[in-house]
Formats: sequence, structure tokens, C-alpha cells
Amino acid sequence: MPNDVIVECSFLIPMTRDALLSDGQPHSSKEWEKLDDTLFAKFLGGTSAPGLYSGFYADPHTGQRVSDQSKKFIVAVPRFQLDELRQLLIEACDWFCQKCIYLSIAGNVEFIQKP
Amino acid sequence: MNTTSIYTTLNGESFALSDLESDERQLISDLIIRQRAASSWSAFANDYMRQLGEFYKSRGISRKSIIELPLWKIASDLKSRMMVRAGDALPPDYRDSLGTIIRSDYPTQKAFCDATGLTEDLVSHVLARRKHLAIDTLSEALRRIGYRLAIVPIEKV
Repeated sequence: MPNDVIVECSFLIPMTRDALLSDGQPHSSKEWEKLDDTLFAKFLGGTSAPGLYSGFYADPHTGQRVSDQSKKFIVAVPRFQLDELRQLLIEACDWFCQKCIYLSIAGNVEFIQKP
Repeated sequence: MNTTSIYTTLNGESFALSDLESDERQLISDLIIRQRAASSWSAFANDYMRQLGEFYKSRGISRKSIIELPLWKIASDLKSRMMVRAGDALPPDYRDSLGTIIRSDYPTQKAFCDATGLTEDLVSHVLARRKHLAIDTLSEALRRIGYRLAIVPIEKV
């Protein structure tokens, strides 16, 4: 597939910091601003989906089921920029105090975490 | 938020509106009206990004440059205020300011720790919101790098 093909990517940012890595509180508005700035500067098209997405996952450290609410972002990304999006989400794991971030690239799911 | 002459963000950054061009000031007024009418902060975010993107694209300004402009920072702040009002975000505190200093003034977190005398472990805990710094520790660390603590009024959201 050519590198300039644009693929639809979406990712979920939980509305609160991880309770084990951090304090389980909502993020600072500054972190959301950082995400908006980076998405706008690096990628040509994106949108924040309305409302929140409720979900659950097994915590990789404790194995316990964790329920959360997340904000969904949809970004149009040329294939050659996919690694830039992955890199951004690795940084976002730090900004938002998350163990991993759910990323869907044209329907294929990846869990992005710090190496 | 004082929009008559100076706009102050939740982060404490101030912008003199008189320094902006008249069409930029008009756009800020429009954005404030749109923010008040917006159904949600995400709807407003999508709206202001599109508006500012189009506004500055016609002037040949790159997206990387747009995010450094006062208008962008004011629009971001309008969204942040909506998030804080909705209980979906917390206003920034001293830990955000520390993070900003580290990113802007130091190549690494370790360099910041070397300069302030704080341990890397402690700084990591503080930035991850697991611990607070005692005021005297924070004051001394800041003094070493040419900053000081200040007591300022809380911006109304």
C-alpha cells in the first residue's frame, strides 16, 4: 500500500490518571492542551468525538478489572506518519499517567505503552 | 479572565489584546460567543481548531507556528475553562509549572534534578502526582534555578 494513503486512526484517553501509577484524579487542563497542540501541529485532520466512552480492561499489573471513561479522538494519518502517532501516544502515556493507550488503526487495535 | 485589555489564562499567561490585530480581536470575541453557545468542550475544541486553522492558513502561517500564537492559547484556555467547569479536568498547579520548566529549560529531567538538588525519584513522584513537595524544599529548589514561589489570585473559570 502506498505510503501517502491516509488511514483513519482513533485512540482513547481515559478521563482520569491511573490510580496505581498516579492518583486517579482528572487530568490537568494543561495535559489536554498539550495533546490538542500536538495533534493540530502534526496531523492534518482530526476530531474529538462527542461524549465519553465507557469501557473496561484487565490491569496488566494487578490483573484486576478496571472500568473507566475515555475521550475518543479520530485522526486522519498518512501511513508514513503512523509511527509519529505511535510516538505521540507513548509520550501521552506519561502526560496522562497511563500504563497504555488504546489505538485503532483502520480497525487494527494496538495497545501503546512506553518501551 | 479579563477580556477588556488583558486576557489571563488558567496557566497564568497574560496577553494584551491591544497587541493583536483588529480581525484577531474580532475572532476572539466570536470565539467567546461560540464557547458560551457550545454544547460541550469537545464541540468547542473542534470548532476553534477549524476556525483558527482557516484564519491563519489564509495568512500562510504553518500549523506549528499557529499553536504558539496568543489567539491559539486563548482559544485553548477557553476550552480548558469549559473542561474545569464540567469537572472533566483540574486547573493547572505548581506541578504543571515544574513540568513546563523542565521541558523548556533543561535537556533532561536529570539535568533539572542536578540543577535543583532534588532527587530524580522525588521529581518523578511529584510529576506523576503521587507526592507533593514541601514548601521549603520547593522554594530552595526554585531559588537554585532562578525562580521563586508567588501567591497569585485564582483565575475564575
